[in-house]
Order: sequence, then C-alpha cells, then structure tokens
Amino acid sequence: MSDNAIIGKSVKRQDLLAKVTGDARYVADMQLPGLLYARSKRSNVAHALIRRIDTSRALALPGVKAVLTHQNVPRVLHAGSPHPRSASVTCDQYILDDKVRYWGETVAVVAATSEEIAEAALDLIEVEYEPLPAVFTTDDAAREGAPLIHDREPGGNLVLPPVKTSRGDVERGFAEADLIIEGEYEGGRPTPAYMEPNACMCQWDGNGNLTVWISTQTAFMVRGIIAEVLGLPLHKVRVLVDHMGGGFGAKQDLFQSEFLCALLAKQTRRPVRMEYTREETFLGGRTRHPAKIWLKQGFKKDGTLTARQARVVFNSGAYGSHGPGVTIVGTGALSSLYRCDNVELEGRCLYTNSPIAGAYRGYGVVQTYYALDIQMDEAAHKLGMDPAELKLKNAVREGDIAPSGHPLIGHGLEDCIRRGMQEVGWAALRRRTRDSGVQRRGWGMGCEMHGSSAYPGIKEQGNAIVKMNEDGSVVLLTGTAGLGTGAHTALAQIVAEELGLRFESVSVMHGDTDVVPWDIGAFASHTTYLGGKAAQLAAAEVKRQLFDRAAELLEAAAGDLESIEGVIRVRGSDRTISIRDAVAPRKGVPAAQLVGSATYHPTKSYSFAAHFVEVVVDTETGQITVLQVVPVHEIGKIIHPIAAAGQIEGGIQQGIGHTLYEDYQIDLKTGRSLNANFVDYKMPLSMDMPPIRTVILETAPDPGGPFGAKGVGEDPIVAIGPAIANAVHDAIGVRFRHYPIRPEQVLQALREKQADATAQNEEGVTA
Amino acid sequence: MSKRVVSFTVNGEAREIVVAPNRSLLDALRTEAGLTGTKKGCDVGECGSCTVILNGQPVNACLVLAAEADGADITTVEGLQAADGTPHPLQDCFMQCGAAQCGFCTPGILVAAKALLDRNPAPTTDEIRFAIAGNICRCTGYSKIIDAIAMASTAQEATR
Repeated sequence: MSDNAIIGKSVKRQDLLAKVTGDARYVADMQLPGLLYARSKRSNVAHALIRRIDTSRALALPGVKAVLTHQNVPRVLHAGSPHPRSASVTCDQYILDDKVRYWGETVAVVAATSEEIAEAALDLIEVEYEPLPAVFTTDDAAREGAPLIHDREPGGNLVLPPVKTSRGDVERGFAEADLIIEGEYEGGRPTPAYMEPNACMCQWDGNGNLTVWISTQTAFMVRGIIAEVLGLPLHKVRVLVDHMGGGFGAKQDLFQSEFLCALLAKQTRRPVRMEYTREETFLGGRTRHPAKIWLKQGFKKDGTLTARQARVVFNSGAYGSHGPGVTIVGTGALSSLYRCDNVELEGRCLYTNSPIAGAYRGYGVVQTYYALDIQMDEAAHKLGMDPAELKLKNAVREGDIAPSGHPLIGHGLEDCIRRGMQEVGWAALRRRTRDSGVQRRGWGMGCEMHGSSAYPGIKEQGNAIVKMNEDGSVVLLTGTAGLGTGAHTALAQIVAEELGLRFESVSVMHGDTDVVPWDIGAFASHTTYLGGKAAQLAAAEVKRQLFDRAAELLEAAAGDLESIEGVIRVRGSDRTISIRDAVAPRKGVPAAQLVGSATYHPTKSYSFAAHFVEVVVDTETGQITVLQVVPVHEIGKIIHPIAAAGQIEGGIQQGIGHTLYEDYQIDLKTGRSLNANFVDYKMPLSMDMPPIRTVILETAPDPGGPFGAKGVGEDPIVAIGPAIANAVHDAIGVRFRHYPIRPEQVLQALREKQADATAQNEEGVTA
Repeated sequence: MSKRVVSFTVNGEAREIVVAPNRSLLDALRTEAGLTGTKKGCDVGECGSCTVILNGQPVNACLVLAAEADGADITTVEGLQAADGTPHPLQDCFMQCGAAQCGFCTPGILVAAKALLDRNPAPTTDEIRFAIAGNICRCTGYSKIIDAIAMASTAQEATR
C-alpha cells in the first residue's frame, strides 16, 4: 500500500552489530581508574523505625572508603517517579530514611575497593529496629485504624484521592438491562524482570560536575531529580545512557542508588559503581500493581451494553511511584474498549508494606482489561452469543471518545477482531465438538487498546535536532532512550525517508543529556510516535534549507524539487543534483550548515489488538499449555516490520508469563520476599513458548504520528491474558477471574465442578 | 586468601591472570581478562547470560571457579567473529532475524547456539529450543532467536 522507500522495510538495526559481537557496553561493563564498588544493606523487617545504626565496625574494615546511612545524607523529600508536570508525582521518598517501609528497603550503603569487601562490610553494620505493625494487602491497609505507612495527604494509606469517572446514568442503564453480570477479578504481582540488573556509576570532576552512567529509560528525569535533590543546577549533572538491558517501564523510576552513588563518589572523590544483584533487582525494583477489580455490566438481549460500573483497588506497595498514573490510566481505560453510554468508575491506590509497584508495560490496563474482557466472554455465554461477535458489536470505533478525552480515529479494533476471526477460522472453531478426554483444547480471544503517549496525564513534548554534514550524511540528535526495541533505527528510517536519503546516511546520537535535546523518556508506547514525529519535523526543516540551496544550483523553484535515495530532482525533468553535491563546499564557498530542530506536542493516538489463543488443559495435572497465538494488531503504519513483530512476540511472552506463572510473592506475616530469583519466579522460556503468527494492520493511521504510525510497545501484553483465560473456559468450562491461573487451582476448580455436577444429578434422581 | 595464577586460552589467545581462589570464571573474564561481552544477569546459574564454551561444553561462567579453568580452552562471544572481523553466521542471522533486542542475553545465547552447532550442525527446532532452555530472554519471545539459529545452521551447512 505504500510507496515509501525506507519506511516499512526491515533495515539493519543500527545497534545490533555491537550487541552480537559483545562490544556493546552496558553500565556494568565500564571501567574507570580508581573505581569503588558500592553495595546496599537492606532491611529484614517490613515496617519499623530505625532506633540505632552503628557503622563503626564497617568503616574500620580495610578497603571500606565510605558508609552512608540516613544520619549522613541530605534529607530531601522527593518523588520516586519524577515526571515533571505530571499528575502522578508523589513526593514520599527520602534518599535514606529513619523509617523502613518494606522488607528489603535500603538502610545503608558502603563503598569499598572491591565488591567482596563492600559485601563483607554490610554484615558489620548494626541496625536496631523498633518494629511497627505492618499491612500487606489493600484490604488491611484500608481498614479503619490501620497503621499509616506515610504521613501525608489524603491519609488513610491512600496514595491519591479516589479517582472517579462517570458519564450517563448507570442506574438507568442497569434498569434497562436484560442481563446484569457482576464479578470480582484479581491480578497478581508480576515483575518486569529485565535481564540487566539495575546499575549506575557516578564520578565528579574537579569543578564539581557530576557524571552519571545509568541504565534508565528517562535520562533527563534522572538528571532533573538528582539535581533537585542534591541541590545542583542542571548543567552540573550529565547523565549518560548507552545500551541498556531492558526496562519495560520500570526503569523510569529512581532507585535511590543514583543519589547514593553520587554521594559516595563525592565523599570518596573517586568514581563509584553500584550494581544490583538479581535478588536486589527483585527486592528494590518495581512490580506491576496487584489489583482487585469489582465490575458490573448490564446488557440488552441483543448484546448492547447498557451500563458499566467498576471499583478498582491497586496495591502501590511501600511508595507511590507510578501509583497515581496507573490508577488514573487503568481505571479510565474501563470507560472505553467496548462502547457504553452509562459508566461509573472509581479507582483507589493504597500504600502497603510490600515491594514497590511501579510502571510496567500495560500500566494498569493489563489489570482492568483482564476483568473487562473476561466479563464480556461471560456475558456472551449467558446471552448465547459468540464472544467475538459480542465484542465486535460493542467495539469502540471512529468518533467514540477515548479515555484521553478525544475522538478515536478509524475502526482499528473492529478490523483486528474481524481479521483474527478469519485467520483462525473462528466460526468453525466455535462449532466444533469440545474435547472430553484428559487433554482438552480450547480457543479464546481477548481485545485491547492502548494509547501512545501519556496525554493528558502528562502534556508531552518530543524534540529533535537534525544536522546535515558536508557530504550529505545526517546526524539525528534525540533524547529518546534505546531500551532494545530498535526505536533509534526507526527514527533514523523516518529521517531518511523524510529527507530522501539512503538509510545508511543517517546516524543517531542519543543518551547524553549535555548534547541531545530534552526528552521525557521512553515509556507510554510513544518513542516512535512522539520522538519519531519530532525527528520527521526536524528533517523536514533541513529538507527545506537543502531545497532552497539546491534550487539555486538547479535554477528551479524549491517547490518543484523532490529527493529520493540521495538525489534531488526537478520534478518531471531529468535535471538532478546529488544531496552530497548540493551541500558540499565549493571553491571559496564553505559547506552549507543545515540544521533543523523541532518540538512536537502530541495529544494521543490509540493502537488496537485482538489476540486469538489456543490452549490445552491437562485435567489430571491442571497444567495449562498455550498451543498457539494469533495476535492481530492495528498500529497505523509499520516503520520496521521485524522490530514491530518483535515487540508483539516479546509482549506475548510476558503476558503468558503473568497469566500462567509469574507472581512475585511475599510472606503475608512478615513481608519477607519469597521468590526473588529466576528459579522460583517462573517465566516462560524457550521450551514454553508457543508458535506466534503475528498479523499487523495499517488500517487506522493517525496523523499525529510520523507517516501515520502509532505505538506498539505495550499493546501485546494486554490482550493475551484474557484471551488465555477465555480459552481455558472454552476448554474445561471453568471461569477463572484472576491471574496467574495455577495448576492446583485448575484441579481444585475441576473437582468442585465435578462435585456440583454430581450433586445436581443426585438431586435430579431424588426429585 | 592468597591469590593464584591461572592460565587458560580465551578465544585462541593464551592468557595468564591472578585471581583469588573463590573468584568465579565470570568475574575473572569480565574484570581480570577485560572481556565484558559475557554478561552477569543473576550470578547464580539461573539465567544463562554468562554462557561460555569451556573445553567444548557450554557452561554458566558464574558457576565455574576461575581456578577450575586452569589449562582450559574457553570461547566467549568475543571469539565468534573471524580474525578479519567477519561476523559468524550466527551473528549475521541474529541481526537479520531481529533475534536481539536489548542485547543483554544475546552473548550467552549466541555462545550456547555455537556450542550446539559445533556438535550438531543441523539441529531440529526442538533441539534448538532445548539447547537454549537455560538462557532467559525477556524481550523477544524466543521465536526470532530460534529462527536465527536455524538459519545459521543452514548457512553453515551450505558453505561446508
């Protein structure tokens, strides 16, 4: 459908050669002369005041250069998720505090000449705690008289005042309904489990300038909050990010190690690096918000939705982090996906003495759409309808108001559902005879939509600078981060396409806050959408300058020129000049200095998906195996097909994980972490992954994105969960309303179903 | 603890390093030998990011003591390219197929795949899955990795 030269082609990703050769440098791979190694001492209580902390024996250990506790670091209240101008900033953290709020929280750090010495010193730090009553569930945290984890508004362990959204009249809607369904749904505590443990390294120069090497999605926000907390102007803090080993949302936060490394480096006047162990990456990292969702919907006999009411409670853990954003976005998402005129939603988010929940791919929507989509499946069964047809009938479409408050463009969700039904032969699958043996197969489908950009929670801004060199090659300066998605390659494609250059003529400079333009960070599925559009606009500005110059040389009007593959042509003629010649220095005349910069303020676009899944349930072991997935995504415009498909396949892997296995658990008496490792925290591996047949549609391009492109990063993790749960119902007739769905729960449910059936039969006989 | 001298061959080069007896081969490779391509994802043998080939066998370098590797022949990701810098067919196919995203697990998986192809030049899909069953990748969903290893096997066979 496109005549683009570079967009839509799987060009060679610019970061991969370094990654396959081992040359790519991650923070832990960097060496500096005199480097010290820092380690954290973590609490072994979930809620306590620190009565006494004695570091004298640790300091006396040869090789130990500095020890920091709450007694000798600045006490500055700050947000762990430092989004400027955002609704979700929650100032509730100190660098180190005299109060511990979860099991595993850092209470002291050591810098030493080796990791072994730093580790040994941790055992020499004596901490005396005064334990406080702790709460681990949102039910307990919300109870009257529950211990308060923070002393801040609005009180009652609420992270923010309840979020309420409504339209229409739900009471009237329910009164008009022929069928009302309500249910409680629950989501566990998966973690992003990125492969590169958190790492950061700090060094001060003799002039008081701080350099921070860090694995983060949000370099400029790290710079901002470090400067704010340490009392430095922004030009004294330089944050460098090169390669990073995944983030999936969680590496938007500050993890306290950044401040502590900087302070240790300052005190010792040596560079200091802190790498989290894998266990610490669980303990001190971020999880998805565990959630409880009460959902009630009304339907007409023909499947028309008449009312939707929901109460959502998110467990924020010990700090606010992204609690407000997740609550607003996750709750608000329930206003959409399936059309309904009468909606009343309430979202709450509560502190507990649990691991900190933060941003993680899907951002609250994973939880709420799990409930919504499963309930649609339940409704279809009660109405005697095909679930896919019911969802298609109610799918949001062109002109419907999205959660962000503006009208949707196109019919992406309907397109995804229809295409998926065709791909898998859905109608025939519905008609088939169900298995009755030990192994029972089932098909299910789930839908989702997800916004690119965090608008309106954050008024975003994308920036880019494009410079053309005197040989016609180009450098894009972008502040966007490269989590591993291939986003920088996509941006280079966009610049090359806009300028009519070969892809190989574009390089991307990123990851240095002193050099590249400000960027909000890589999250909210927005890098290609937002950073890409800014890059396109900056490239268009360079193109304008280039054509002005070429027009003189070609003795033509700039408006009559076009450029393709590095050659400028007067449209409809054979008069051409290469871009290289157009900008090159000529005798006595310096090369043209062509620089374009652009700032782009987007609103939001929505991408859509429908996932079709086949599972098999072993009725003797309770094991659920996903046999195949057919994900259909509508993303406006594909920039790099392999990278887009890679996002989808990886998202499905994580989604299968949280639906069937992944749950980071704590002991509900002590708050102690129970499975902070990759053996006990089970993720899908190469042997577990089913074949995935990805279909990507471009049927609803968004003019707000480059060449119509929308985001794809978060979408794939959302729809897979309900699709699996619905497929399990299709296989064994048991409805699960929580994740992860464990084998023992499957067996238990099958036993109960059997008992009910037997009881009913006996009743029938006696009657 | 008194340090000891350990000699081994890494990627065809004889090396001699001085390490504490409790130093892991992973730390020794990354720090003393300066080969940081091999990654530390867990340090306890659960993720496979530190896979190296030790005397022909793929191992988690975090579970081997450097001292145990005395006299050994070791291949790390840095040893896959030809002497002239030409990428190994596995490296080529990983780039072509998009088998790497964040890249952190990639060195370990490439090395595990090389160990597989060295002993089984034409593996089945199931054999490929099994060979990398100890390597966690959190980005790709594995299918492009499996495709890339299969493609490299075909490419190698074609030039044999």
